[in-house]
Amino acid sequence: MHAAALMLADSRFPGGGHAHSGGLEEAVARGLVHSESDLAPFLAGRLRTAGELAAVFAGAAAHAGRRDAGVDHWRLLDAELDARTPSPAQRTASRAQGRGTLRAVSHLVLDTLAAATPRPHHPIAVGAVVGASEGAPADAALTVAYLAVSGPASAAVRLLGLDPFAVNALVMRLIPVMHTVAEYAVRHAGTDPADLPAPAAVGLDLLAEAHDRHSQKEVRLFAS
Amino acid sequence: MVHLVSSACAPLGGDELVLDVRVGAGATLRLAGVAATVALPGQHAGPSRTTVRVDLEGALEYLPEPTVVTARADHTAVLTADLSDRASLRWREILVLGRSGESPGRCRSGLSVRRAGRPVLRQQLDIGDRELDASPAGLAGKRVSGTGLLLDGSTPAAAGGPWWSRVPIDGGALTTVLADDVVSALAVLTTSMPG
Repeated sequence: MHAAALMLADSRFPGGGHAHSGGLEEAVARGLVHSESDLAPFLAGRLRTAGELAAVFAGAAAHAGRRDAGVDHWRLLDAELDARTPSPAQRTASRAQGRGTLRAVSHLVLDTLAAATPRPHHPIAVGAVVGASEGAPADAALTVAYLAVSGPASAAVRLLGLDPFAVNALVMRLIPVMHTVAEYAVRHAGTDPADLPAPAAVGLDLLAEAHDRHSQKEVRLFAS
Repeated sequence: MVHLVSSACAPLGGDELVLDVRVGAGATLRLAGVAATVALPGQHAGPSRTTVRVDLEGALEYLPEPTVVTARADHTAVLTADLSDRASLRWREILVLGRSGESPGRCRSGLSVRRAGRPVLRQQLDIGDRELDASPAGLAGKRVSGTGLLLDGSTPAAAGGPWWSRVPIDGGALTTVLADDVVSALAVLTTSMPG
């Protein structure tokens, strides 16, 4: 694992990831998740949908970052991920974390990305940072696959008071799936952005939109 | 107005259907189904595939009836639409996870829409993976998934309920719904994009 990936996956990395629950807060508010046993399918589903999409774009961005792609390519990647993220609430959450990630690092390659889009999607920012540091697409893909579950898992501990050891055991059980998702992403790292996979996460999109509507009327702990 | 009629239960495993639709500037086409599409396994093993390619400069309304994904189906449906700057599209898709009391087979539904060469919406929905069908991240245990896309230059406000949402998207709106039955899903799609 590349050290840039370790930095990005660290919960102490100041990229703002702690403010997002990945749809878990809305799922908890509705009673869809209230224990470790129903957190498991939530996390597994999230990893294999939103996590897979994030991994695909992080891998592609790392591939682009390693070869110092131009502004046009970054714009294209960003537009293609936007087209795969129809929920405005999901777009905002992803761009907030992408912006936060860029603010916490510095590199010439990232200046090109920032010139293309000052608020890039999170997986693209992560991939760009890893690629700029000469890390591999696999490092970037695995990082966002891990973050796709570690964020909601930690949110579950805070929202439901679940046993942190039991919750971490759930995350650990998903490690083989994280690798499967990352390997799938790596196979597409050099693919034309238009042809990158586009796995839907219908439930997460609906939870994100509902979270956004509710957070305008009542206090929520997480931004998404 | 064109009705698409399947001669028998279709598609079956092994079927490969390609439909090319071209609507020129100033023209309006309404494509509708007459009955539900029932995705079934064929006599010989093998997946079925439906590809619809749309080249749009005028207006297209494409409102097929629901697709029922039966137990041993292995079906892929792909819709690719290329819109010019002033083209307009109204489309919906309703996928049903199995007949009454039946678990679904596999169905992959891909949607790819571009306007003036720019990507607007790209999404692939996989049905029939037990874990994803049941997870709140996927289909949340619902039996019916509905999608409605309206790209006509309008800007409907965002709206939604627990299991549906309408969001603005590049000169139009995307409505997404998960429901327990077709009637409820259709009601949401019809109300969300009237016309």
